[in-house]
Amino acid sequence: MSATKKLHPDEKIKADKVGGTLFKAGLGAGAVLLGISIALGAGKGDHWRHFLHAYLTAWSFVFSICIGSLFFVIIHHLAKAKWGIVLRRQAEFITGALPAVALLGLVFLVPVLLGNENLYYWSVKQLHDKQHPFFHHMHHKMGWLDPVFFAGRYAFYFGVFIYMSTWFRKQSQAQDTDGDAGRSEKMRYWSGFAVLVYSLTTVFAVMDLFMTLQPLWFSTIYAVNYFSGAMLATYCTLGLMSMAIQRSGRLTHSITVEHYHDVGKYMFGWTFFWIYTAFSQFMLQWYGNMPEETVFYSYRMFGGWQIVSIIVLVGHWAFPYVSLVTRWSKRILPILAFLAAWQLVFHYIDLYWNVMPNQTWETAGGWIRGPLQGDPELHKVNFHFMDVTLLLGLIGLWLAAVGKSMKGNLVPVNDPKLGECLAFENY
Amino acid sequence: MEAETQAHDDDKPAAHGNGDDHGDAGETSTDGGDTELHGLLAEFETPGALIAAARKVKNAGYTEFDCYSPFPVHGIDDAMGIKRTKLPLVVFGGGLAGLCGGLLLQWWMNAYNWPWNVSGKPTWSLPANIPIAYETTILLSVLTTFFGMWAANKLPQVWHPFFRLDRFAKVTDDGMFIGIEASDQRFELEQTKQLLVAAGATHVEECHTDARPEARSVPRAIYGVMIVLTVAALIPFALAFKARASKSSDPHWHVFSDMDFQPKAKSDQPFAEFADGRANRGEIVGTIARGNLRADDAYYRGLRDGQWITELPAAFKVDADKLNRGQERYNVYCAPCHGFDGAGHGIVPERVALRGGAWEARNLVSSDSVVIKMPNGQLFNTISNGFNTMMGYAAQVPVDDRWAILLYVRALQRGQNATQAELPAGAQVR
Amino acid sequence: MASASEAHADDHGHGAENARETFRGITHDVTKVNLTPIGRWWYPAFGISLLLLGMLVVAVTHLFRTGIGIWGNNNIQGWAWDITNFVFWVGIGHAGTLISAVLYLFRQDWRTSINRSAEAMTIFAVACAGIFPILHTGRPWFAWWMIPHPNDMGMWPQFRSPLMWDVFAISTYATTSILFWYMGMVPDLATLRDKSKDKVRQVVYGLLSLGWRGSARQWHRYERAYLILAALSTPLVLSVHSVVSFDFATSQNPGWHTTILPPYFVAGAIFSGFAMVMTLMLPLRHVLGLKHIITQDHIHAMCKVTVATGTIVGGAYAIELFTAWYSGNLYEWFTFRNRILGPYAWAYFIMVSCNVIAPQFFWVKKFRSNLVFVWILCAFINVGMWFERFVIIVSSLARQALPGAWGYFEPTKWDFMTLAGSFGLFGTLFLLFVRFAPVVAMAEVKAVSPAAHAGKDDH
Repeated sequence: MSATKKLHPDEKIKADKVGGTLFKAGLGAGAVLLGISIALGAGKGDHWRHFLHAYLTAWSFVFSICIGSLFFVIIHHLAKAKWGIVLRRQAEFITGALPAVALLGLVFLVPVLLGNENLYYWSVKQLHDKQHPFFHHMHHKMGWLDPVFFAGRYAFYFGVFIYMSTWFRKQSQAQDTDGDAGRSEKMRYWSGFAVLVYSLTTVFAVMDLFMTLQPLWFSTIYAVNYFSGAMLATYCTLGLMSMAIQRSGRLTHSITVEHYHDVGKYMFGWTFFWIYTAFSQFMLQWYGNMPEETVFYSYRMFGGWQIVSIIVLVGHWAFPYVSLVTRWSKRILPILAFLAAWQLVFHYIDLYWNVMPNQTWETAGGWIRGPLQGDPELHKVNFHFMDVTLLLGLIGLWLAAVGKSMKGNLVPVNDPKLGECLAFENY
Repeated sequence: MEAETQAHDDDKPAAHGNGDDHGDAGETSTDGGDTELHGLLAEFETPGALIAAARKVKNAGYTEFDCYSPFPVHGIDDAMGIKRTKLPLVVFGGGLAGLCGGLLLQWWMNAYNWPWNVSGKPTWSLPANIPIAYETTILLSVLTTFFGMWAANKLPQVWHPFFRLDRFAKVTDDGMFIGIEASDQRFELEQTKQLLVAAGATHVEECHTDARPEARSVPRAIYGVMIVLTVAALIPFALAFKARASKSSDPHWHVFSDMDFQPKAKSDQPFAEFADGRANRGEIVGTIARGNLRADDAYYRGLRDGQWITELPAAFKVDADKLNRGQERYNVYCAPCHGFDGAGHGIVPERVALRGGAWEARNLVSSDSVVIKMPNGQLFNTISNGFNTMMGYAAQVPVDDRWAILLYVRALQRGQNATQAELPAGAQVR
Repeated sequence: MASASEAHADDHGHGAENARETFRGITHDVTKVNLTPIGRWWYPAFGISLLLLGMLVVAVTHLFRTGIGIWGNNNIQGWAWDITNFVFWVGIGHAGTLISAVLYLFRQDWRTSINRSAEAMTIFAVACAGIFPILHTGRPWFAWWMIPHPNDMGMWPQFRSPLMWDVFAISTYATTSILFWYMGMVPDLATLRDKSKDKVRQVVYGLLSLGWRGSARQWHRYERAYLILAALSTPLVLSVHSVVSFDFATSQNPGWHTTILPPYFVAGAIFSGFAMVMTLMLPLRHVLGLKHIITQDHIHAMCKVTVATGTIVGGAYAIELFTAWYSGNLYEWFTFRNRILGPYAWAYFIMVSCNVIAPQFFWVKKFRSNLVFVWILCAFINVGMWFERFVIIVSSLARQALPGAWGYFEPTKWDFMTLAGSFGLFGTLFLLFVRFAPVVAMAEVKAVSPAAHAGKDDH
């Protein structure tokens, strides 16, 4: 038994113009920044190599928040969680951007199909040649890493994501109008199956999209690590988004410091889980010391990338982790907002650290020369201004897509557990 | 709250279903005439009533009071004005100490005090030291939490004045109580009682303690038991110290066999399982152990076609290193008898002479010595297998070193018998 | 949630007396287990446990006198049943911590009915686990060398070895579990103290309960400490089985060296632990008359956690298999094919059918409601999780890189006796716990019951 509360009578729960404004602003800014990025990419003269990598990194950022939000929705139903019902609709809106994210992915998917091997090295035709040094390690999986099959899987993954997210969003929004409590039961019923499908889809999607960037390297925990980063980013996004909505004068009574406190706890928890998976991967490959695995870290542990590694470790884990331990840092909203924004920035840097070194690993010696043979010059971080414009551009387009799906109520008003959520208190 | 309506200041026991009520203590505890008022104990019906009453007591300005309940009542902290405990801060300190301690422990033991090389890896490699530092962090945090909490709660304290009241036994079952101590500045028996009744108490009771000093002291028997137990606990240590300090010719106890007695055959021992009854197994006929072929007669035995060789064997390459090696080995194995100069004045014959004996080692270098005329092969054989009282050195000195020694002996002979004319200019003896 | 009177608890008119009745009911039902003569079932159960424990004593004594040669282990199979049993028992323990700590942090109130016995299970399982690594060292009486202490050999432990990490992880885990368990028990021991009629119990429970008197100022610190311990136990429980997995994963042995092993071991541990909790709890609630405290809802919840973790474990099997193929590492891929098609295929299929297929029945409410069926499935899961460790350890070691060193492990009667004996140790400790300690966290059950809010204003 818990106390319950009714929605405050003066509460503004309608999205109204928020979605439209977001759509227009996001689309405008996104289109302009993307245009600038394309111009920068065209001017760089490395066959779009840098552009594609930077684009994938930025895309990965918005993609991770979308799939994280989908998991947030599913797990909320599965666990019959009450505390976050006031945040659930926002997560549902975010998953509404999945079709747009799928379309944005065509920017790197189409080149793969057309035979541009600058992003995914495995799409090089020469790999099928027996003389190629990687042939021995690669020939058995060339069927898996086939551009057409890859594109097919991409379509399948997004088909699953979009179908599931749409179903949950539609059910939830339909409940707003018809008030049928049975819908909650129905969503809970299917959430078990959904989480199963979700996990397998996510694991393979992440392995396909990001792990195959270094087609010889492998790590079984890689997808789990990516997922934990995605969840961390999702909670940060939901926290910031709620604060923004409250600033616009909506939901001012419904979302309380208690809910933010829980968002903070989850940020803390996922920060821990992220370092746990990251450390497991690093520790085991470092300790095992097998060349086919350590190449991933030996490239990132020296030269310029070493500095980025340390920045990620301190910025994405040590500092926010210690900061989030205390109760007040989760309950004083400006501090929580700062930490959420901080973690989002470092989530991007983490993705950058994951994706961008692949841009040069081949020239740096990669597999052939073996680790540590190259000079520090080759471990240089190839930062370019378009990295930033691409990130902001894609965030703009993603926000536009989120805004597009932002219609109707900002909370599931007829959720049978909403009353308990409104009265929720930490003890 | 509705509880106020049914409050009466009497000792009528609250209606109980299961009849295990001991509410017959009355208003005062009266064992022993010499009592002292500890405070008042008031019972309340529901958690809600307790919270409301606690708030009233606090607002009335009392500080020396406490609520008692069978489970933590949520909302009571605020009603009583309990400040948040500082325990988390203490735990943070404990955790930090655990982290630093864990890292320091590993660094000092594995990298500083005894730098331990494991497959060439660095003695101090942080990733491999993290798991233990992590565990020590948690361990110390946990210990700080556990012991810190009990210390802050002033427990264990197995006796408390309220335990004298039978009614108070319900506090671990279904009873909610407020206890106000007489030591409170605002405490005045009747007034406080009125306050509690007004706050909704269903029962208010005075709690007295025995003022006699002997009733407050720990019984002598308990001290006795503690002393006996302490002494008994010391006995094993005393025995261990005695054993360490005294000498004994008895064989030590084999509590754990420790592989001291193993069912295995040792060399040169009887062993019934084999037909010849010996543990040693000889070489199998017609085989030679790896590396034991030794076909080079000149090198291994100093022979060619059954004759001592006069030159050095081809397998022995002469250079300055070999000569230095020969000198070093000669000084170890030969000089004790033959002397550093080879003239036979080693420390052994000298010591024999000092004791009145007579035993001479052969002079290796005098121009009339048999040794100087010996073919190389024969001298090598003597070094290897001995001659008269000299034992063979084949067991201690490897083949190559024996040739090196021979080389050095030849050098000594050459040096000791050099003529003035042979010396370089300026080095002649005048 | 726990009592029949909950329907009336909110009713202000009768709230007070109904609430007190609820509390008294909980006290009465739980304390009667300890304070009234125990049922007849206890004696044969205890007898069998003691018998098995005796077997353990015999097996261990023989091991001390002779050495680990009495087991089926040999130069190639350096690890076999000993480490299998170790990982099995440690894993069992994890569910207890999960229930007491992690579910507490997630505010899952249903945990209060089962957390005490689950925590007890943790401690006894860790005790069983602890003996195996010590026994397998060969000369167990030198096990104390693993504790860093100044000594006349001037030697320190080797802290960079995963086996040393184990020492720290397991001992920290045992310490934390015992303290957490005991701390949670203190208010209930005080209840037993106050409910006991005879002097011996009053004194013993009185000393153990440290003079607890339910003061609000003490409850305040107590609750905070409880929360902190829960918050510390959560990363701890994650680390313990991760460190156990490091024993394998830091090596270069194909089938052992894979990065998903830490979370996969943790999920497997929780999975096996929940199965064990149900294996114990289903008969226990029946014989102790606690069906209204440990209800069908609790069993539903536990079944759901079991199917969730079982499916995660199944997913990890799949990822491992896929990556072994994807990696292009010949030895890795051989190892996994060998698991499925090699001489230990029988063990592999026991593992998959018990761990991945069996729990899938728990998706369906009808199966979850049939307690006999649930119990049988849980027994299968226990078997399956033991075989998981067997498959990982034995099948990988039997087919290492050098085909000349291939072999096939065969256990001896001493292996069987040690394993069965560890169950005897567990059973003995658990039955003693049931008889003498409060099996349900009364104070916590009361605190989460609706009656705990009786008489409060709606704020």
